[in-house]
Formats: sequence, C-alpha cells, structure tokens
Amino acid sequence: MLLNTLDVPTDEFEAATGWAAKPEGMCKGDACVRAPGAVGADGTIDVASVAERLGMALVADDATGTWALGPESGGRALTTAVVPEIVLPDVDGNPFGLSAMNGRKVLLVAWASW
Amino acid sequence: MWQALHEELAPLGLSVVTVALDLDPEKARPWIEAATPTHPSLIDSDHRIDELLGISNVPMAVWIDETGTLVRPPEGASIRPSPFAAIEITDEMPERMRSVLGEFKQMPETAEAYRAAIVDWANRGADSAYALSPTEVIERSQPRPIEHSRAAACFELGLAAERRGDHDAAIGWWKQAHALFPDNWTYKRQAWTLESTPDGADSDKAQEVQEVYGTSWSDEFVATGGANYTVFPQL
Repeated sequence: MLLNTLDVPTDEFEAATGWAAKPEGMCKGDACVRAPGAVGADGTIDVASVAERLGMALVADDATGTWALGPESGGRALTTAVVPEIVLPDVDGNPFGLSAMNGRKVLLVAWASW
Repeated sequence: MWQALHEELAPLGLSVVTVALDLDPEKARPWIEAATPTHPSLIDSDHRIDELLGISNVPMAVWIDETGTLVRPPEGASIRPSPFAAIEITDEMPERMRSVLGEFKQMPETAEAYRAAIVDWANRGADSAYALSPTEVIERSQPRPIEHSRAAACFELGLAAERRGDHDAAIGWWKQAHALFPDNWTYKRQAWTLESTPDGADSDKAQEVQEVYGTSWSDEFVATGGANYTVFPQL
C-alpha cells in the first residue's frame, strides 16, 4: 500500500490490505490480532503502530516523502483462508470485485504476458 | 487453454478467473483478445494478489469455494504438460539451451493430475479430497518472513517510480525486492522485461545476461533448478 501519510482512513486501509479495525483488534477474515492504539483519536489507522503489530514492513522513499506498506509477516503467506474483497480492472479498466463470484467455485489463475 | 476449461466446468458451477500481472495492460491485451474469454479476465498491475493471496510466480492458481474461502493455497497451475520438457537435448544445442532444457526435465510433471483434481473439485465440491480445510490451506501456503513484506513494499515503490517516469529509481527499488525475496519470480520477471537486450531487442527468456540486473531468466532458472522453480501442487 502506497502512503502519503501515516494516518489512513479505516476503509482505505481495509481495501488495500484486507485488515479491518474492529472492537477485538485488527481483523482479516476470521483472523484477529489485538492491536491497542491501532485507531487514533481521529478515527484513522495509525499505520506505524499497526505495521509493528502485524509485522508489516513500512519502507520510506525519502526522495518523494512517501511510504509503502508491505503485507503482514511472521507466519505464512496466508493469515486466513477467507479471501478479502479484491477489486481489479479488466483490460479496458472496468472494475470487477471478486465477491461477485460468491455462489460459484472459482479457479483464480495468475498469468502474465512475460 | 483456461477458456476451454472454463467452458467445460461452468455447467458444474466453476468459473475460471484469470489475472494478468502485467505492469502495462496493453501487453496482456493481445493474449486476452485471442482467448476471447467468457470468464472474468482481470489485470493486476500492482501485483496485489502477491500480497493478498501469496502468488509468487506465473502460472499459479488458488481455488476459492462458493463462500469465498480458499480451499487450495497458491500452487503452480499447469494443466498441460510442458512442451519444453519433451524436447530431446542434443550435443548441437548451445550450452545455455541444454542447461535450461535439462532443468525443464527436472520439473515434476503435475499438469494432468492437477487438471484432474480441478475437475474432481468441480464435480464433488467440498467432498473432493483435493478441497482442503482452512487450516490446511494456511499451513500449506508459503512462509512469509519480514523480508518478504519488505520486498513487497520495495516492489510497490518501484512501480510508483516507474509510473512517474523515474526508471532509474524503479530499478533501485526492484533490485532490493529481488534480493529480499528471490523466490518471487513475478517481481523479477516483470522488471527484467522492461530492459532490452544489448542489441536493443525486446527482452525474452532466451536472452543473455542483462547489464541492468546482471542476470537473466535462464541463468536464474538453471541456478534455482526446475524442481524449485514454482510451488508444485502436492496432490
């Protein structure tokens, strides 16, 4: 996730990372991690705090004054088997949310021209 | 190939969704238009499914059930035996080609069994022996140390640099990503294809060592070994 600030609205953070702020902590699918201080007084995610808690690498690009936040780490690549909502465009730029496939089995295949 | 599988299995309630990890969607367009897919065919220029699902090479696939839950983690997704593995190696071939073809022969041949497993799942759903429990799915996904998280962040900063026209900065970030997570071939293969060969031709798999990254697909494939090139399905 690219960041211009380290205080991010909760919905933006969830859309990018799959992690939602809930009363029990930061949750992705059915996995929750206690995270006191994750949400600041202004209702935004304290990215530095959450990054520390979830093992997300926070890398600064000093040339542009921006950051990139990596995914959670310290365990397996999958923290939960529940697929977060993933919205991706088709080749013409029309967005498609994977949750539209609920009710069907999905074989999701990653490929590339290279 | 995927379109044919989709047509075969759609009546059983299974849909293929393809996701192209191309930085430039126009590179994927000719392939998509040739396939004329009736299934969702998406573009993931940011490699978000690397982070969100653990994809680390192509082709790889995950299986998602009717409730949106993974029943198989990312694994190499070939459904047709590799034509390269069948090529006879001869003394007349250049050394580089012989090495590469030799490693293709070291790759476990899983395509037919993997395809049969997909068909079994399409028919039997949760009763298929190939549909794993959530715990198994997580345990079978690859380890993710902090270095892999850092690699994802560096790759993303490289993408941002590339998009604002700062190619040199992008190369710097991508070199870091490659060093931090050498088993993620999507980071390497994407970056390499943006460099031309010494004589100015487009990058390709058979090319010699690139000046920019000091390596090449064939060198790294041979060094890694065909048996370790992807996460082969454990069926």
